[in-house]
Amino acid sequence: MVNIINDAGFAQEVNNSDVPVVVDFWASWCGPCKMLSPVIEELSNEYGNKVKFFKLNVDENPVTSMQFNVASIPTVMLFKSGKLVETLVGFRPKQAFKSVIDKQI
Amino acid sequence: MDGRYDIAIIGSGPAGLSAAINSKIRNKNIIIFWNSDLSRKLITAPIINNYLGFHNVTGIQLKQEFESHISNMGIKLNYEKVNAVYAMGDYYSLMVNEKMYEATAVIIATGIEFDKPIKGEQELLGKGVGYCATCDAPLYKSKTVSIIAYNKDGEEEADFVSELAEKVYYIPMYSGELNINSSIEVIKDIPLEIIGAERVELLKLKNSEIKTDGVFILKNSVAPDQLVPGIIIEQGHIKVDRNMNTNIPGCFAAGDCTGKPYQYLKSAGEGQVAALNAVLYIDSIKNKK
Repeated sequence: MVNIINDAGFAQEVNNSDVPVVVDFWASWCGPCKMLSPVIEELSNEYGNKVKFFKLNVDENPVTSMQFNVASIPTVMLFKSGKLVETLVGFRPKQAFKSVIDKQI
Repeated sequence: MDGRYDIAIIGSGPAGLSAAINSKIRNKNIIIFWNSDLSRKLITAPIINNYLGFHNVTGIQLKQEFESHISNMGIKLNYEKVNAVYAMGDYYSLMVNEKMYEATAVIIATGIEFDKPIKGEQELLGKGVGYCATCDAPLYKSKTVSIIAYNKDGEEEADFVSELAEKVYYIPMYSGELNINSSIEVIKDIPLEIIGAERVELLKLKNSEIKTDGVFILKNSVAPDQLVPGIIIEQGHIKVDRNMNTNIPGCFAAGDCTGKPYQYLKSAGEGQVAALNAVLYIDSIKNKK
């Protein structure tokens, strides 16, 4: 299950999670973001409670996008204990994300 | 979008065409993406004497033989440029601007380009440097974008970006008349370096310097690791095994893009191997269902 996150709740969700957090930065006009969406969905189902998955719309949430210097979308960020540990820019196949996420669990 | 194809082939040089022929013989539903002249490299070859069966032919003559063979088999080529190939798991999505095609297997036969990246290009990729202006244009509202274009296709992209960005510079790396919005500033100069700390800040050219927030480099062909995110490249070539498998199941590669020797017959041979293995892959998926 990929939940929606926004500027208001971002810090709270990311800092207070005891499992790693994945945030998918996307926009409605971005083709590759739409391609990535089902991949992120599959990942969230596979990881269950071990990892939290969120998606953030960059048009609706400029504060977070600017705070993290999002220059290109899709961008997927992985947080652990409130800290940004990995940034992946652009679409990748599911396996590429798994290799990165597995290192943090 | 049409229905899902069995095999999508990207590239219309000897590797791509050989893959097409072999896939067709095996009754697969195929789509081949190409640029004009089948293969720029082929048509400029003055004389070829090492392509078995065709002695002392020009590149153009060999190209004509290829054309006649594929036409004879009823194979039609799709004149569209694929921007990206997304591995979705049990199928592939191929993006052509706004359009999307689907295929169970993909054969990459995109050849080899010898352009060296501009200094700073790789370091700032994703931090202001991109290869698709239309993809990232909305992120540059009220910002400055510089477009370095290697062919006329860049003009349309530049027009699109100029509707969104505050300022657009267009640096054509080709000659000929330009047909772009008057608001776009054309700079006829050679790009030397893209400069910036965390993000792109400056584009240095031979005779000038421009402050810019984004630099889009529109080349003739897309580098394999940009074209197929997740594909493994080794020393500038797509890594394949003897069955032309890449690291992504169902994605094969053939021809110059897999490495040396850069020879037509080698490419045609690899195209065949890739096609035959793509067919086996598809049949194995169908049997699992």
